[in-house]
Parts: sequence; structure tokens; C-alpha cells
Amino acid sequence: MTTAVNIIPIFVIVPLAGAFMISIGGRKLKWLADFLGVLSTAGLFIAALFALKLVNEYHILVYSVGAWKPPIGIAMVLDGLTAFMLVTVNLVALMIAIYSVKYMEHFTSKWKFFTLFLLMLGGMNGVIVTGDIFNLFVFLEIAAIASFALVAFGVERHELEAAFKYALMSTLGSLFVLMGIALLYGFTSTLNMADIAAVLAQKGSSNIILLVSVLFVMGFGLKSALVPFHAWLPDAHPSAPAPISAMLSGVLIKSLGIYTIFRIFGNVIGVTPAIASILMVLGCISMVVGGFLAIGQWDLKRLYAYSSISQMGYIILGFGIGTPLSILGSLFHLFNHSVFKSLLFLGAGAVEYATGTRDMKKLGGLMKKMPVTGMTSIIGTMSISGVPPFAGFWSKLIIILAAVEAGQLWPAVWAIVASVLTLAAFLKAMKCTFWGDVRVGLEKIIEVPFLMKFSLITLALITSVGGLLLIPGIQNVFLNQAVGVMTESADYLIAVLQHI
Amino acid sequence: MLGELFKVDNFSAFVGTFAAFFTVLIAVYSFGFMRGQKGLARYYLYIALTLISSLGAIFANNLVVFVVFWGFLGFLLYLLIEFGNKERTSATARKSLIIVGGTDAFMLLGVALIWLINGSFQMDELAITLDNKFAILAYLLLAIGAFAKAGAMPFHTWIPDMAEDAPTPVTAFLPASLDKLLGIYFLGRISLDIFQMNDAMNMFLMGVGSFTIVAAVMMALVQHDLKRLLGYHAVSQVGYMVLGIGTGNPLGIAGGIFHMLNHAIYKSCLFLSGGAVEKKAGTTDLEKLGGLVKVMPITFITFLIGSLAISGVPPFNGFASKWMIYQGIIELGKNGGGWWIVWLMAAMFGSALTLASFMKLVHAIFLGQPSNERAIAGNKKQEVGITMLFPAVLLAVFCIIFGVFAYAVPLTMFIFPSLNEGVAFDGVWNSGIATTLILLAIVLGAIIYFLGRMAKTRRTESFVGGEFLEKNADMRLSGVEFYNTIQDVGILKFIYRLAGKKLFDIYEVGGKIASGFTATLRFLHNGVLPTYLVWCLLGMLAIFYVVFK
Repeated sequence: MTTAVNIIPIFVIVPLAGAFMISIGGRKLKWLADFLGVLSTAGLFIAALFALKLVNEYHILVYSVGAWKPPIGIAMVLDGLTAFMLVTVNLVALMIAIYSVKYMEHFTSKWKFFTLFLLMLGGMNGVIVTGDIFNLFVFLEIAAIASFALVAFGVERHELEAAFKYALMSTLGSLFVLMGIALLYGFTSTLNMADIAAVLAQKGSSNIILLVSVLFVMGFGLKSALVPFHAWLPDAHPSAPAPISAMLSGVLIKSLGIYTIFRIFGNVIGVTPAIASILMVLGCISMVVGGFLAIGQWDLKRLYAYSSISQMGYIILGFGIGTPLSILGSLFHLFNHSVFKSLLFLGAGAVEYATGTRDMKKLGGLMKKMPVTGMTSIIGTMSISGVPPFAGFWSKLIIILAAVEAGQLWPAVWAIVASVLTLAAFLKAMKCTFWGDVRVGLEKIIEVPFLMKFSLITLALITSVGGLLLIPGIQNVFLNQAVGVMTESADYLIAVLQHI
Repeated sequence: MLGELFKVDNFSAFVGTFAAFFTVLIAVYSFGFMRGQKGLARYYLYIALTLISSLGAIFANNLVVFVVFWGFLGFLLYLLIEFGNKERTSATARKSLIIVGGTDAFMLLGVALIWLINGSFQMDELAITLDNKFAILAYLLLAIGAFAKAGAMPFHTWIPDMAEDAPTPVTAFLPASLDKLLGIYFLGRISLDIFQMNDAMNMFLMGVGSFTIVAAVMMALVQHDLKRLLGYHAVSQVGYMVLGIGTGNPLGIAGGIFHMLNHAIYKSCLFLSGGAVEKKAGTTDLEKLGGLVKVMPITFITFLIGSLAISGVPPFNGFASKWMIYQGIIELGKNGGGWWIVWLMAAMFGSALTLASFMKLVHAIFLGQPSNERAIAGNKKQEVGITMLFPAVLLAVFCIIFGVFAYAVPLTMFIFPSLNEGVAFDGVWNSGIATTLILLAIVLGAIIYFLGRMAKTRRTESFVGGEFLEKNADMRLSGVEFYNTIQDVGILKFIYRLAGKKLFDIYEVGGKIASGFTATLRFLHNGVLPTYLVWCLLGMLAIFYVVFK
């Protein structure tokens, strides 16, 4: 194959190198952290778009790390799903990096922040591109550990407590994942994911595989915060600085949790009917429980965090239904949620930046003082609540259509109930924060600086016109490539195995 | 491509025309009413977007396209309500969007079910019989969306709140005219074209309609805020439209659709006149209003015409359409069954109570004695500006034309072409003679009135035993309490008390249930790490059990 494969390791090397350089020079050169942070994420985003183009050309690309041939060496695979995830993650990362330049100024040692940020990004990109299951675990831990540190970044009492809980529970999930990988390795004697799939296809079904799937559902379910494995999220996500909250809720849980479930169940060990129904049930429970809990919150970011649980439910539900249409809806919702949830968290960050609080009982009337933050948050609200014509409406519509088409009427009903709950929760947040009269004590606040507004406006624009991604021409390039990987998983196998 | 997505037929063209008409009127009115408010560019932008989305929804021929435009209207409604500056405005905006947006979400499920049944989103290709549970569920889900938009019970509660808290032009625009047109248009669409109705479903519609008429008008009787009272009537009148469509015979359906149009006209007229009162008097509290007839004579006349029209007094338009609905119901009775008497009773009783309620309203605002504050301000004639007066006057004129020339103008031009079947109209009401007689009676009445005024009356301050009351001497009869006594009658007392606790408000009840769940779940999330770890393990055990059982 061509030299095009050389683009694949870039997604891991660039953020890791960026993190390394910032940690060396950032303490002395104040501008270096901002500069490298934005530059590398911008580069990564462009590379991700380029990767999307390559996928449309070559369908699948495999890179052998260190020229060791798989299955002995580590393979990195670029296919439709990978490219889709890379675009999503790096787009959000770029917006967050731009936003952080200003936002992180009221924290000390910005260079530490950007080091950890890029480290986390490197870990996520690694999880996405790798074709080796143990390597996946390693990258997963890199991203997770960086995120523990970032949750604790403010080093206040509750932030440390949240980080501790998060670390402990996340490690529990990792432990089960590792156990699953070990069992899988013992059973198949290989770590390359395509190879595992091939061996499993030969050996046929076994109880070991069932055990492994349970371990993976639990481990990755914990990473993607499905109820009842979700309890770390509402503490961890609000405690981090706003850009990191956006990163965690926007993309981290998706690349560490959802993507891995998609990849491993979709392409490697396969979805049995029992697992599919378990995923659907978990999805429905997450949607509804997350929705109810979100309504009860008075901390803006905590409300958003609970609604992330609810939205993850939609994505997993779509995957559990398992028809091409539902997977399309599910992936589309994943993208949309990345965009509007980071938008909302960045909006909450802007509120905190301007007012110093995110307690909704102390806020009010900010629309008059911060119109950009207000309107972008409203747009995010409408998108997440599934109000047309914003992007979230389309993905929810597809998921509901797919559920009904597959005869899953009750999941469709729950999806709708959760949608109403989301609407109620977010309208509460908007009412208390942005509408009404300006609260006493908040008369003097001003709109956030330009770089922060830039990220907010860009994300709001993307989520406003996100429905256009369903136009057939664009859908074929972006979404259908990813859906194809899930629905024709044999192709993945054959293509990767060719390189062995 | 575009032909598949949009389609113009007589029905949609007629509704679309009037949607545009009301938008223009409201825009003109807003020049006067909204003057001096901040963010007017956004306001007019939202108004324009509302018109565009309404037209999109009206002319949509694809259910998904329809739902997109329809749902976007909810968002615009939310943004427009926020222009109000009452204390509860943002709470009301939230409530409205939750009810409207929430029912829109359920409509999605209905759309999905239709797709499951027919494999198509094309509205003109659909003809679904209500013979299986999916079809019935799909119809109900879509009807719920239409009910919430139009404001039929039990999805009506956002309308009175909004009437009170939103700017008056917005109330006149959305719930009073545009949302009614849309909601009833869509109800008509699904009941006449997309689904083949059966008797049970018609019965359901008529039940909803009758209940809405009576219950909402009972609530209206005891209100003491001008706009909130009008809001309850906006709900009550929806009942007639639903009832008319529910009769299932051409006459009743034509009556229902005609009533939709008439209602939009007279209710906008009432709200716009009410807005003029609000602008001049600075309040909508009926206790503080009174005696405005001398101050705002033109507004009084437009309001009076609107009131008579909504109460179904001939020869105004409200009567013409109600008359058709009554006939539709009687037509139903020819097929046997006793329920039609109930529907007819509800419709006529509701009409009578509407009249009663508007007697109170007209008296409290325009007649009677002015409140003390007003009396001090003087009784100089002060009408609102021409931009605010003109729309109300125009609508009042429409009330008369559509009533007196009901058959010649609106029915033949708009309503009958909208229906595919011919309408047999037995009891054509000869408006010519009646109008002449009514005019004669008015002249006669005027003569008697002026003869009566020959006798001199003297006005003075309130006094007791020869001493003037210095403080709080508001001894007049404002008329607000006219019907308060019905709240003390037997079973009604109980119902009013429950209504006072908002037990019939689907939003409040839903909120209570939701907060119950939320409280339970929050109680479980106690923040203790070992608990959370136990959940994880229990969850995993459950999955083990399911996989290995």
C-alpha cells in the first residue's frame, strides 16, 4: 500500500510529542503551552479530515508499528469508524484548546494543563487507531490517568475527592477489562484484534467468550458511564476545569467507552442476542435514570454531567438494536453529543469564568450580560433536547425510527420519555441561568473574551447545521463509512488480515 | 424532490393564507405595542421565522419535514415568550416549551409508527385504517401533538399562563391564532386524510372537545386577570373545533374548520384590544380596570364585537360556525345513539357560559365606574396609536363580514373547497333578515337608552352617613366577582379547589411525579464510594445471570 499509511501514527505521536515539549519548555516560555496546544490540535484535526479522505479512497489502511508484522507487532488500523472518531475527537479537542488559552489563565501553571491535555488526547487517539487489544488497554490507561490528574487540577477538597473516586472506579473498570483481555489472549493466543476475530470464528462459541463479554460490558460500560456503573461521572466531570469537563463528557467517555464497545463487540467478539438485549436494557436505564437525576441538580455542570449519562444511553441503545439504521443513528448521536455537550460545558465554563459560580440558585438573567454565551447555550439545549432542526433532533429521530423498525417499541418510548426529561432539565438550567432579571451582584459581569466566544460560536454553528451531515453525499463520506465497518465486520477482518 | 416534500392543496392554501395574514397584522400591531423594548430586531426575526416555519409545516407533504417545521415553532414560541417582562415569564416559557416540545417528541413516535405500518412518510399517500393497535397509537400520538399546539385539554395549561406572562402580541399571534390554525389544521389532516376514522375515535375526539369546552369556560368564569381569562377562552374554543372534526360528517367538519378560522379572527381581535387596554391602563388586573369606555371608545367597540362573536351571538362569525357544528352534531343524532345530546348540551352550555363570562369582562373593563386611580387620571379620551388600532378594527370588521356573509364569503371561498366531499347544508341560516332585525333592535334599544338618559342623574364620591370615605374608597362594583359564587356550589367547590392546587395541570402533575423519582434516585446517590462499587458489582452479577442462565 501507499505511503498514505504513514498518517496513522501521527495521531499518537503528535499529541505525545506536544505534551513532552510543553512539559520541558512550558515552565519557562509562557507562550509555548498555548502555541503548541492549539497548533498540535489544529494539525490533528486537519490530519483527521485528511484521514477521512484517505478512508474514502482506500477503505482501510493498516500500519505496522516499527515495521514488525502483525500479529507479532502492533498494528494501527485506519478505517471508516476510526476516521469518524478521529474527526470527532480532534474537532472537539481543537475547539477546547482554543477556549483553554483564555480560560485557563485563572489557574496557575497552564503548561501542566496542556501537557496533561495532550497526553489525554494522545491516549484517546491511540485507543481509536490501534488494532491491538493490549495496546488498546495501554492507551486507555494513558488517557484515563491523564484525566484523573485533570479532574484534580483545581486541587480543592471536592476536586481531590472526585478524582479519587473517579480513579478508583475507573481502575475497577480497567481491571475487568484487563481480565477480559487476559482470558481472550489465553483462549486465542493472539492480541491482534482481527486475528482474535479470525481465531474465534474458527473455534466457535465458548463460555469463555461469554465471560469475556460480560467483563467487557462491565469494564467499558463503566468507562462510558452506563447506569449502574455511572456513579463516578457526576462527581468527576463537574470538578474538572470547564474545558476538561467538555473533553471528558464530550469525547473521553466516548472514545474509551463507547468506541471500544463498538469496536470490540462489533468487530472482534461479536454481539450475541443476550448481549444485545443487555446493552439495550442498560441503554434504556441510563437514558431515563440520567434524565431524572439531571432534573434535580442545581449545579450547572453537574446537571450537564448527568445528562451525559442519559445521552450515552441513546448511543448504546442504538448499538444494541443493531440494525444499520440504528447504528447510523447511534454514531450520528455520538458525533452530535460530542459537539453540543462540549458546547454546553464550555458555556457553563464561560458562566463560571464571568461570575465565579455555577450554582444556578445564584445565577439569573445572564442573557442580558452575556448574549453570546446565552444564545449558544440555548442552541446546545435545543440540540440535546432534540428540537428540530438542530443536529440532536436528527440523530434521535433516526434512533427512534430504527427502534420502531426493529420492533423495539418500548425502547423507543423510553427514548422519548428521556428526551422530554432532558428538555425539562435543560430548560430549568436555561431559565435559572440565562433568563429572567439580572441577579443582584451580577450587574457588572461582562461577556467572555474572544477566543472563548470563538469556540462557543463555532460549536453552536456545527450543531445548528449538523443535520446536513445526513444529506446523502456527505453521509456517504462521513457516517456511512463508519456504519459500514460495524455492519460488514467481515471486511474489517479480511482487510486487516491481509497485512499479516 | 421538492414536489415530494411539499404540496399545496385547497386546505393548506387556505390555512397558509390566513397564517400570513395574521403575521402581518401582528407585525403591524407590534410596531406600536413593542415600541421601546430591547432586542426588537430579534423579535421581528422570530416573527418572520415563525411565519416561515408555519408555512413549511402547513405545506409539508412529508411527515419528517412536517415535524421539523412544527418542532421548530415550539422553540420560536419559547424565544418569543421570553420577551415578556413579568416575574414568571421565564417559568412560563419553560412550561410552554416542555408541554409543546414534549408532545412533539411523542409525535416522533407516531411518525415512526406510521412508517412502520406503511413504509412511507408521504402524507398524500397515506390512508391508514384504525384497525390495529399500532395505527390507533400512532393516531393518538399525532393527535396529542395537535392538541398541545391548539391547546385542547389536558395539554392546554401553557396557554392561560402564557396569556398572562407573554407580551400580548405574541399571545395573539401564537396560541390565539397561528397555533390554533396549525393544530386544528393538523388534526384535520390526520383525521380526514391520513387516517380513516372510525366511530370510536370520533367519539374520543368529541369527548375531548366537549370536556374542553365546558371545563375551560368554567375556569374562565372565575379569573380576574384580563389576559388569563382570554387565555382560558382560547382553550375552551378549541373544544368546538375538535368537536366539529369529531362529528365525522362533512357539515360538522366544515363547521370545525370554519370555527378555527373564526376563532383566530375574534380571539386575536380580543387580545389585541386587550393589549391596547394594557398599554393605556398599565395593568390587566380586572380589579383595577373599569369605565374605560369613555377613554377608549374604538377599542371598546372592537372588544365588544369580539366578545359577541366568541359568545356565538348572531350575526357575528362565531355564531355561523357554531351553528354549523350544532347541525353537525344533530346530523350525528340521526344515526341513533344517545351521546349526541351530551355533545350538543356541552356545546350550547359552553356557549352560554362564554357569553356570561364576557359580560363580566366587558363590564369590568369598559363599563362600570372607573377605579379610583383611573378617576384621578381623568377620563380624557386617549386611544392607542393607529398601528395598534388598525389590526383590531380590521379583525372586528372581519368578524362581521364572516358572520353576515358567512355563506357567500368564507364558506364558499375557503372552507368548502378545502374539504374533498360536498357539504350538504340543510339549515342555511338566513343572515340577511336576522341582521336587519338585529340592527333594528339595536336602534330601538339606543332610542330607549337615550330617552332614559333624559332623566338627570348625579354622580358623587362614595359616602357613608354623609361622611366621605377618605381611604380605600373603592366602593364600586368592578364586576370581577360576578360568578365567584359558583365556586361554592357542591361538587364544583371540590373541583375548583383541586384546580386551584393545579391537580389538573399535566405539567404540574408530571413535575411532581418526576421530582418523586428524582428525589428517590438522589437519595440513592449518597456519595459513598463503597456503595457505588457495590452497584458496579451487582450490575455485573446481573449481567452474568442474564448471559449464563
